[in-house]
Amino acid sequence: MEFSFLFSQFLSGLTYGMILFLVASGLSLIFGVMNILNFAHATLWLIGAYFCYSFWYLMQGYNFALWVSIPLAGFACAAVGWVTEIVLIKHIYKRELHEQLLITYALALIFADLIKIVWGPTDRLIARPPAIQKPVFIFGAPFDSYFIFVILAGFAVALGLWWFLKYTRYGHIVKAAVFSREMVGALGIPIPKIYTWVFTLGIFIAGFAGGVQAPIGSVNLGMDIAIIIQAFCVVVIGGFGSLLGTLVGAIIVGEVFSFAILYWPAGAMVLIFVITAAILIIRPWGLFGTPMRT
Amino acid sequence: MKSKALKIVFVFVALVFLVGLAGSGKVMSAEPYNLGVALGFTGTGTLYSKDQLEGIHVAVDEINAKGGFLGKYPIKVFQRDTQTKPDVGVREVKDLILRDKVRAVINDYSSAVAVAVKPICREYKTLHIAAISNSENITKINYSPYTFQVVPNSYMQAKAAVLAIAKMAKDKGWKEYVTLASDYEWGRSTQEEVVKELKKVAPQLKLKKEFWPRLGETQFTSFITSIMAMKPDFVYPCLASKDNVSFIEQARPYGFFEKVTFAGGMVSVTELIIEAKTVPRGLVSITRAPFFAHLDVPMMVNFVKNYRAKYKKYPSDWAVMGYDAVYSLKQGIEKAKTIDTDKVKDAMKGLTVDLTRGKLRFRPIDNQLSCSSYVGVVGDDPKYPFPILKDVIEVKGAESERPEAEIVAARKAEQK
Repeated sequence: MEFSFLFSQFLSGLTYGMILFLVASGLSLIFGVMNILNFAHATLWLIGAYFCYSFWYLMQGYNFALWVSIPLAGFACAAVGWVTEIVLIKHIYKRELHEQLLITYALALIFADLIKIVWGPTDRLIARPPAIQKPVFIFGAPFDSYFIFVILAGFAVALGLWWFLKYTRYGHIVKAAVFSREMVGALGIPIPKIYTWVFTLGIFIAGFAGGVQAPIGSVNLGMDIAIIIQAFCVVVIGGFGSLLGTLVGAIIVGEVFSFAILYWPAGAMVLIFVITAAILIIRPWGLFGTPMRT
Repeated sequence: MKSKALKIVFVFVALVFLVGLAGSGKVMSAEPYNLGVALGFTGTGTLYSKDQLEGIHVAVDEINAKGGFLGKYPIKVFQRDTQTKPDVGVREVKDLILRDKVRAVINDYSSAVAVAVKPICREYKTLHIAAISNSENITKINYSPYTFQVVPNSYMQAKAAVLAIAKMAKDKGWKEYVTLASDYEWGRSTQEEVVKELKKVAPQLKLKKEFWPRLGETQFTSFITSIMAMKPDFVYPCLASKDNVSFIEQARPYGFFEKVTFAGGMVSVTELIIEAKTVPRGLVSITRAPFFAHLDVPMMVNFVKNYRAKYKKYPSDWAVMGYDAVYSLKQGIEKAKTIDTDKVKDAMKGLTVDLTRGKLRFRPIDNQLSCSSYVGVVGDDPKYPFPILKDVIEVKGAESERPEAEIVAARKAEQK
C-alpha cells in the first residue's frame, strides 16, 4: 500500500479520535472529580452543535462566523450545564451509579425533546467559509482542511486541561478533590461550588466539541445516541478520570476503526467493542486509570 | 268540503316531496366528492408532504373549474396530519372516513403509515392512493383491491438504478465498484439486491469492497479516504436521509465527487432546489418524477405552468405525484361513470391513465402504476436557478417491475 494512503488513513483515524476525545474528555473529567456518570453528556454535545448552528446563522455572511460560533456554543452550553448542575445533578451526587445512569438518561430524553421544540426536526447545515471548502494535499493525498483544525482543537483542549490541572491553583484543588473531598472540604474550600464549576467546565468542553462537530455533515437529532456509546468505550479503554487515558483511548478507537474498515469493514465497530470488553476484563480501571475509590 | 280535503292532501304531499328532495341534496345542490388527504405535515415527512399537498390542490382547482369529477361532483378536500406516525395515521384516516365521509384518501409520506392505513381503507371500502410512499409491500403483500400506488416502488427504483448503472458502465468502460451501505436491514437488503442484479446485467463489473457504516454514523472520514485510495470506477451508496446528507457534506471538501462517481443515491427535485448551491455536481442520482424529464407531455407543461402561477416555484417530484394521484382517480371515475367507490376501484384495476409522466397503466395484479424511474447526473442548466439531472436515463416501469410470479409466490408465502 502507498505511504500517502496509509498516512491519510492515519489522519482520518486521528480526526475521528479527536472528535471522540472532545466528547469524552468532559465526560471523564466530570466522572473523575464528581463520580457522576452523565449519560446526558452527548446530548449536551448535540445542543452545542445546534447552538453553533444558531450563532452561525445569525452571523452568516461573515467569514469569521464559524470561528466565533464554535467557542460561543461552548459558553452557551456551559450556561445550560451550570443550571442543570444546580437544579438536578447536585442532588444525585450520593446516588448509586446505576441510579445516576437512569436519571441522566431521562435527562438526555428531556433535552432531546427540548431540541425538537427549539430547533425542530429538520437537519441543519452550516456552509463552511471558502478557506476550508477545498482539500489540502498531504504527501499527495487529499485531506479535508477543516480536519486539520479538528485535530489541533483536540490537542489544544488536551493541553489546556493538562495545564489547568497541573499548574493552576484551581486545578490543584480539583485534583485534590478527586482523592479526598473530605480533606479539601476541611480546609474550608467549598466543595459544592467546586463541583458546580467542574461540571460547567465539562459541559463547556462538550458544547465546544458540538461546535467543532457542527460543520462536519448535518446537525440532526439522534447524533448523540450514536456517539455516546463510543465515548464510553474511549473512557473505559483509557480509564475514567484520566486525561491522558482519554486521549490515548480516543486515538486507539479512531485508529482501530480507521484501519479495520480496510480489512474487515463489517467488523470495524465490533473490534472496538471487543477491545473495550477485553480492557474491562483485564484492567477494569482502564489503561491509565486507577482503581475506583470506594 | 271535498275539494278542501283534496287541497289539504295535495299541499301535504307536495311538502313531503319537497322536504324529501331537499334531504337528498340532489336538486338543491351538487353532491361534493369528499377527498381525504392524510399526510405527514409534521415530523420527518413535512417537506415532501407539503409539496405533495400543493400538487393535489393544483389538480383539484383545475378539475373543480370544470364542475368537478364527471363535471358535476366538486371535490372537497379534507386534510389531516398523520405526524408521519402509523398510529396517528390510522386514527386520522378512520376519522376522515367516518366523520368526513371521504370516498378516497391520498396517504402518506411514510411507507409505514401507508401500510398501516391500507387495512382500514379496505375495511371501510375507501380508495387509498399511495402517491409518494414507495415500499413495495404497500401493494406486493397483504393485497387490498382498494389500494393503488402511483410512485415507482422500492423494487422498481433499485432495479432502475441497476439498469441505468449497467448502461453507464458499458458506455464508460467501468470495471470495479465498491458499495457503501448503512449497516441495518434496509441498507443490507438493498445492497444485496443491487449486487445480485448487477451481477446479472453487468457481469464484467467486479465488487471490490463492501463498506458498512453504522446507521446514524457521524464520522465518515475513514470511509472517504479509504474509498478514494481504492480508486473504484464508482461507488454504489445505500445511505438514506441523514446519513446520505452527512456523507455528502463530509466527502465534498475532499473533492470526492470530482474523483469518484457516486452512483445511485436518491436526489429529488426538492433537494436540487433547496440545496442548489451545495449539492455536488456530477452525482449520479435517481429520482421519482422530475418535471423536466417530461416537458414533452402537454399535461406536464400545463401542470408546471399552473403550479408556478399558484406557488411561484417549480414543482418537486412529490408535487407531480400528488397531482397525478388526483388525475388517476378522475380517470377511474370517468371510466366507471360514477363516483361509487366499488365501481371506481374496479374501473381503476388495469386502467391506462394519461398523466404528467405519460400514458401509464395500473398493473392488475398489484395496482402498481407502471411509472418510470429517472437516473441522471446532477448538473447546472441555464434555464433553471437550480441544478437538474442531465443525460437522464428513463427506466420504464415495464423494465423495472417485479415479475408477477414473484408476487404470487410472496403472497403464498405470506399466507403460510
